[in-house]
Amino acid sequence: MNKVYSKKQDLIQKIRQVSGESIENFEITDDNRIYIDHKADAVKGIACALRDEGARYLVGTASDTIDKDNCLSMIHSFAFDKEGFIVNMRTKVDADNPVMDSITPDVYGAGWSEREFQDLLGMKFTGHPNPKRLILADDWPEGIYPLRKEVPHNLVPPGAEDVAFQLDNPPEGTSVIPVGPFHSSLHEPEHFAVYVDGETIKGCEYRGFMTHRGIEKLCQTQVTYNEIPYIAERICGICGSVHATAYSQAVEEAAGIEVPRRAEYLRTIMLEIERLHSHLLWLGVAGHLIGYDTVFMHAWRVREDIMWLCEKITGNRKTYGMIIIGGARQDIDDALQGDILTSLAKVEKEVMALHKAIEKDSIVHKRTVDVGWISKKTAIDWSLVGPVARARGVDIDVRRDHPYAAYDDMLFDVPVLDGGDVWSTLVVRILEMYESVSIIRQCLKRMPDGPILTETSEELPAFKHGISVVEAPRGESVHYMITGDEPRPERWRVRAPTYPNLQAVPDMLLNNEFADFPIIVGSIDPCFSCTDRVIKVDMKNAHKGSSLTSGSGATVLTNRDLENMSRSKGK
Amino acid sequence: MEIAYLFINILIFLLLTPLLDGVVRRITARLQSRQGPPITQGYYDILKLFGKQTLFSSPYWSFKFAPILAFASIISVIAFLPMGGKATILTPYGDIVTIIYLLTLGGVSVLIGAISSRNPYAMMGASREMVTMVMVEPVLAMSLIVAAMKYKVLTVPLTAMTTAASFSWTAIPMALLYLVALQAFVGRQPFDIAEAEIELLEGPFIEFSGPSLGLYKYYMMLKQFFYSLLFVILFIPLPLTGLYAIDVLFQCGIAILMVGLIAVVGATNPRLRIDQATKIYAVLVVLSLGVAGLSAAGF
Amino acid sequence: MWLISKLRQAKVALTPGVVTLKYPYEAKPVPKNFRGAPAWDHHKCIGCGGCANHCPARTILIRDVCKDVRIMVYDGSRCTYCGRCRDVCPEDAIEMSKEFELATPNKADLDVNMELFMLTCQRCGRCYDMERTNHIDHLDLRGYRYDDLESRAVIRKTSDTFDTELLKETENYKRPDKIGG
Repeated sequence: MNKVYSKKQDLIQKIRQVSGESIENFEITDDNRIYIDHKADAVKGIACALRDEGARYLVGTASDTIDKDNCLSMIHSFAFDKEGFIVNMRTKVDADNPVMDSITPDVYGAGWSEREFQDLLGMKFTGHPNPKRLILADDWPEGIYPLRKEVPHNLVPPGAEDVAFQLDNPPEGTSVIPVGPFHSSLHEPEHFAVYVDGETIKGCEYRGFMTHRGIEKLCQTQVTYNEIPYIAERICGICGSVHATAYSQAVEEAAGIEVPRRAEYLRTIMLEIERLHSHLLWLGVAGHLIGYDTVFMHAWRVREDIMWLCEKITGNRKTYGMIIIGGARQDIDDALQGDILTSLAKVEKEVMALHKAIEKDSIVHKRTVDVGWISKKTAIDWSLVGPVARARGVDIDVRRDHPYAAYDDMLFDVPVLDGGDVWSTLVVRILEMYESVSIIRQCLKRMPDGPILTETSEELPAFKHGISVVEAPRGESVHYMITGDEPRPERWRVRAPTYPNLQAVPDMLLNNEFADFPIIVGSIDPCFSCTDRVIKVDMKNAHKGSSLTSGSGATVLTNRDLENMSRSKGK
Repeated sequence: MEIAYLFINILIFLLLTPLLDGVVRRITARLQSRQGPPITQGYYDILKLFGKQTLFSSPYWSFKFAPILAFASIISVIAFLPMGGKATILTPYGDIVTIIYLLTLGGVSVLIGAISSRNPYAMMGASREMVTMVMVEPVLAMSLIVAAMKYKVLTVPLTAMTTAASFSWTAIPMALLYLVALQAFVGRQPFDIAEAEIELLEGPFIEFSGPSLGLYKYYMMLKQFFYSLLFVILFIPLPLTGLYAIDVLFQCGIAILMVGLIAVVGATNPRLRIDQATKIYAVLVVLSLGVAGLSAAGF
Repeated sequence: MWLISKLRQAKVALTPGVVTLKYPYEAKPVPKNFRGAPAWDHHKCIGCGGCANHCPARTILIRDVCKDVRIMVYDGSRCTYCGRCRDVCPEDAIEMSKEFELATPNKADLDVNMELFMLTCQRCGRCYDMERTNHIDHLDLRGYRYDDLESRAVIRKTSDTFDTELLKETENYKRPDKIGG
């Protein structure tokens, strides 16, 4: 602990040296969070200093504080994994001229965060290498920034025909193969323009965010704190509990709510069951993408047992609804514990059989070994997370580095391999499954008795910051929370693990065959619904050329329906 | 009598092959621990497709013509095939070159259809299909040439090369090579590269719909049974009952077993990439040339 | 090596048999705390509106038509079956049923409409529902009369206090044959 403390002090010294006058305040909290308030001109200097010290970029959060001080604030978060603390750099720029330096040329991972806020808040980042539209639809009018408080959450601007995203020109000698928005290798609509030369891929451009639902804006304007876990759960079909846990933890950290220990164990159990479920699903999908449907069917047959188990525990096969602010919603009694152990034993046996069966299959190796190779340095530069990074030798795992829930009591290994290709990601995920089974068994043995929920009123202290990181099956999810003066968040930023991982896909695709495109994209275990969730104000059907006249009402959008409240919100 | 054999050939093929498609899907399903569609699903699929509307998404006449050409080519080569050891009326008029030609014509018609559909996925599928055809047809050609060497004529062989009366040692390695290449002939894993659904959205067939697609699907089913039956005719000796019906049933039975084998191998393998598959094909071609050389030397 | 892998794969493929369930030809029962569609028990509901306030999908709606009548509408087409209404109901009037076969071409099939007759508390003036099974009792409580004008009958109290056992006994009474006899 002393080492960590002194590292923190060293860090503060260095940062003071780099840009002393621009620093306004340092704040160190007990939960291993450091907040640096600084002036906007020092952002590059501090970011580079943090990166040189070995920090990993997490997420950028920008919010609209125009009603208070006519500013737009920007927060960059970095994580020190070896020491286990997170540094947040808070700054603000004037709303009439929101220009800031971009830190993307030095920290690649910030690229998409900055593009996102260019779209949604109207901030300008000078020096950004690729300042194209990221989130908003191509026919979204200029000047309307959905995340700003002046823009209502259900605004539908008139659509426009014949406005298309400006894809980059393909490099010399290549032709473009469009993959998406509808393609059998992708689960959700997104567009990859793949530049091929014969069958070899020479480059790729990604245009996504077609299923952008506007969850952040919705939850900042319409629903209250206690309703958000149910919405957070539906950000993603597979990592539902992860988002609910991350949100709850962020609120608990910001407002200082204590969670009972038994509830933390329950959260851990649900998170690990979800990890098993997700990895089995991925194993099936990977098999399907290389043409091996039998692996697909059998992996999903094993997964079915887990879904039945979850139905017994929570009442639903997915979208468990178990995790809320202050703890968990339902308890696990002894009969259920027995059921869990029986199912786990069966699942473990089947996973071992599957693992042994495909471990040495040379045809599977032909399709996955040396496919999608990137170096460890590339993985670190792009701030990759999850099994994608662990397959390249990057030893990060939020459960071990920044422990949350009951993970500080658990003994488990983090599998890290050096292969750097798709096969390594497969093996990493299978090894993680064995670890998950072991963690659940430890939890069940050690779970203490006690309450499972701390009742919280919705009157939380206003304008407190909290950040929580949770290891989803795909990598690390980060939620940044700023509590508000109404009973709802002032700002809630969700960063799913696929967000940074997708940015490295063009590197992974380079010089591979086109036939490997699906498995390479599949190897990052993309969860586009997690990635797309940010603010938006309507555009559920962002198909190009669909004309939505304002107030037409012809397109039924869920946000608009949600607006229908006969009772006024909250208290 | 020979005319009757011709029509029996065509009838057996047309009526039996959709059932075999259902059998393949059932076997695949059982290996995947699920129930699978009913065995008659192949008939339903073809009937459904013939009842739908074709969307002509490409203005070229070859777009309409290519499926008909494929179907016609496979029916023609069936008309030459001597089932049950009896030649049909057309068999004397053709020889092994005709068989190779007509089968290649079928493949070329798939290519024509793909290229005239003006779709980038179809182009990629067509290029893969071309590579496969170029590299794998030699194995078929060599099998037929080994038969020709044995009988010293180019006509279609009526009896297999492994009968007790006239046993040819080179037939055994040739049979093995044919079996390995069988998966590539019929387009199943690990060699179903041309119409890889996941990568290419059905590849060459992507723009076809309705009866055109129905014809193509029928062509693929007929091709599957044809190659299995050709193996039986070339390499499996007939039981010497002398009765045409028993002989035909025997050959069809073994061909059905081979289709089952195709299904099992298809369900238990992932799909290879085209560059990996060409390496395997190259090995097959070289080996089959070697076997043909041996048979020329008199073995 | 490759062949052994294939044999292991064959073992994995063939061991489980066919796992396809025969649903919907055979019913598949759901576990105990399955969260299906919510079901309201109107006997227990007091019309507090808690479910409507806390539904995250905003799918429970309330309208006070007049001082006495509160209408609650549950629009099942948007429900996410989260169960929050059941959690907050103070009277345990909501139960998450086992219904999951809810597909219908008519959205109105999924709606639940409740009309609750509310009284006002004399002390604080807020509405509450007082359970009576009978409209005429409702009116009687408010001091209204509802006689049966069509059959010229006066109605004071309703038949929910009628004793059917007593009525049966009257069938055995012997009636006098003639007046005075």
